[in-house]
Amino acid sequence: MGQTFSEKILSQKAGREVRAGDVVTISPDYVLTHDNSAAIIKEFQKLGIQKVRCPQKIVIVLDHVVPASTEKYAQNHKSIREFVSAQGISHFYDVHNGICHQVFSEEGFAMPGTLVLGADSHTTSYGAFGVFSAGIGRSEAASVWATEKIWLRVPETLKIVLDGQLPKDVYAKDIILKIIGDEGADRANYRAVEFSGDGAEGMSLASRLVLANMAAEMGAKNGYFPPDEKTFDFLKDRAKGIYQPVYSDPDADYEDILEYDLSTIEPQVACPHTVDNVKPVTAVAGTAFHQAVIGTCTNGRFEDLKVTADILRGKTVASSVRVLVIPASRTEYLKALHAGFLEDLVRSGCIILNPGCGPCLGAHQGVLAPGEVALSTANRNFRGRMGSRDSEIYLASPATVAASVIQGKITDPRGSQ
Amino acid sequence: MERTYFTGKIWVLSDLEGQLIENIDTDQIYHNAFLHITELAKMGEYALGNLEGWKDFPKKAQPGDMIITGRNFGAGSSRQQAVDCFLALQVSLIIAPSFGAIYFRNAVNSGFPVLKSHDVERLVLEGKLETGDQINVNVLSGECTNVTKDFSFGVLPMSEVQHAIFQVGGLFRYGNELR
Repeated sequence: MGQTFSEKILSQKAGREVRAGDVVTISPDYVLTHDNSAAIIKEFQKLGIQKVRCPQKIVIVLDHVVPASTEKYAQNHKSIREFVSAQGISHFYDVHNGICHQVFSEEGFAMPGTLVLGADSHTTSYGAFGVFSAGIGRSEAASVWATEKIWLRVPETLKIVLDGQLPKDVYAKDIILKIIGDEGADRANYRAVEFSGDGAEGMSLASRLVLANMAAEMGAKNGYFPPDEKTFDFLKDRAKGIYQPVYSDPDADYEDILEYDLSTIEPQVACPHTVDNVKPVTAVAGTAFHQAVIGTCTNGRFEDLKVTADILRGKTVASSVRVLVIPASRTEYLKALHAGFLEDLVRSGCIILNPGCGPCLGAHQGVLAPGEVALSTANRNFRGRMGSRDSEIYLASPATVAASVIQGKITDPRGSQ
Repeated sequence: MERTYFTGKIWVLSDLEGQLIENIDTDQIYHNAFLHITELAKMGEYALGNLEGWKDFPKKAQPGDMIITGRNFGAGSSRQQAVDCFLALQVSLIIAPSFGAIYFRNAVNSGFPVLKSHDVERLVLEGKLETGDQINVNVLSGECTNVTKDFSFGVLPMSEVQHAIFQVGGLFRYGNELR
C-alpha cells in the first residue's frame, strides 16, 4: 500500500515510515507567527532560554491589527520588534507588508515538499503550493522556537476530486463553500484534505489558495494541491531554497474520496453564524446589508480585485452600504494600483484600506454595531466575529460581494460582467 | 503530578431546547476583543462571553467543575486564550463528541484534559446528564460515573501522546524531556 502526501512527508521528516494515526516528532522548515508573537515571546521567556534555537526558521509578519489601533497593540508590536532585533530574526515583516499568509507565499517560503507550522489557523493555505502546513497554538510556537521540534499526529486523508470547469461568474470561493456546506464544519477534523482532478489542475495558484485556506473551516489539519508547472513558475525567482515536491502514491489509502463536478456549481453564500450554513445565492438574494468587505487571506489577491473592479467599474455603490477593500499584501496592492483597479473602486465609492487582516477579526477598521449585517469575502462568519455579538456575517465570493454592493442587497453575480 | 481521577459538578452547554450546542467556535469561547490580554489569570472572566445564554458562566463556575458540550467544540481560530480561560477558572476537564483540531492540540499541550465521547449527545438527550450532576471521570481508562443519577458511561481514553503530556504537566515539560 502506497502513502498519501501527508504520510510521505511526515515519514521523510521523522526518518522512518509512518502511517495515518502514528505520532511523530519532527523539525519544521519554517514557523510563522504574527501579532500573537507578543504573547509567544512571553511564553518563550518563561522557559528560561536566552536564544531561540534557529532564528532563520522563524518568520514573523505583523498583520492582525496594523497599524496599531490602541496603546496595548502598539506595545505588543514594539516588544516584537525588540525581540526580533535581539534574537537576530531576519525574516521579519513589519506592519506595511500585508497578511502573513500572502507575504509568506510571495516571499517564497512556501515551497513544495516542505513543512511549515504557523500560529494561525489559516496556515493550511500553503497546501496550495504542495506544502504540509498546519496551524498550531501559542505554547507550541514558543516550544518550536526553543526546541525546533514538535509532535504531530499523522492525519488520515480526505481526497476531493474536482472535475470539469466552473460556469461563468462562479469562482473558487463558491467551490469551497459548496463543499463545506455539504460536508459540515467538522468533516475534516484532524484530517488532511487533498484536492485533485482536472478542475484542481486548471485552477490558478490564487484560487488554490482559497480552497487550501478554507480547508481550515472543515476542521482540516492541512490542505494539499499537487504542485505543478504553475507552482514551479511562481517560485522560480522567489524560492528561499532548493525544494523537492512530494506527491501521494497512486495506491495511497484515503479515508474517503468525494467528487465534485465544477460545471454544476452555483454561486454560494455562507449564512450566519457558521461557515457550513451554506445556501445558493438565489436562496438569500435580496438580503440587505450594511457593510461589505473584499479582501482577507481568503480573497484579497489581484484576481479577486480584478473581478471586483470589472463588476464595479463605472457603477456606484448603493448609498446604504459601505464597502471596505483590503488588498492582501503590498505587492497585490501595487499590482491592482498599476492596473487601475483601485481607482475604479474608489470612483465607485469603495474605501481602500491598507493591506492586513482589517475588520475580519473585529478588532478595528470597520467594527459592526448591534443589528448590522456584513457581506464579506473572508473565511469566517462566527457570531460576533466582526464586532457586536448581535451582528451578522454572510460570506461569498468577490464577484457576489461586488454585484451585491451596487444593489445594497445580496445579488446573484451571474450576468453582472 | 500524576492525576487520573476527577470528580466534579458538570455544566451541560445546551440551548433553550435542551440540545447540546454544536460548533461552539473560539470567537464564542473567547472573543477577539480581549486577545490583547496576555495574563492567564485575567482571561477567566471572558470565558464563553460570546455564547448565547452562557455569558454568566465565569460567575457561576466553581473550581473543579467540568463541561459537557456538543461536537466540534473550539472550531476556528488557533487562539490559546480559548483554552486558557478555562484554566483560569480552574475548570477541570471538557467532554465533547469532537473538538476543533487546533483547540484539541492547545488543550493537550496545556495538560488540560479534553476527552471525546460518542455517548454524551445521547445521554444529554435522554436527560441522563444534566447541569449540576456530580460525575467521576477516570481520564486514563475513560470510565465515568454519574454519581447523582447512579450509572456509568464512557469517554475515549487519552491517546498515548496526550497522556504523556498530561502526566508531565504540559508541553514545555514534555519538550524538556525531548531535548
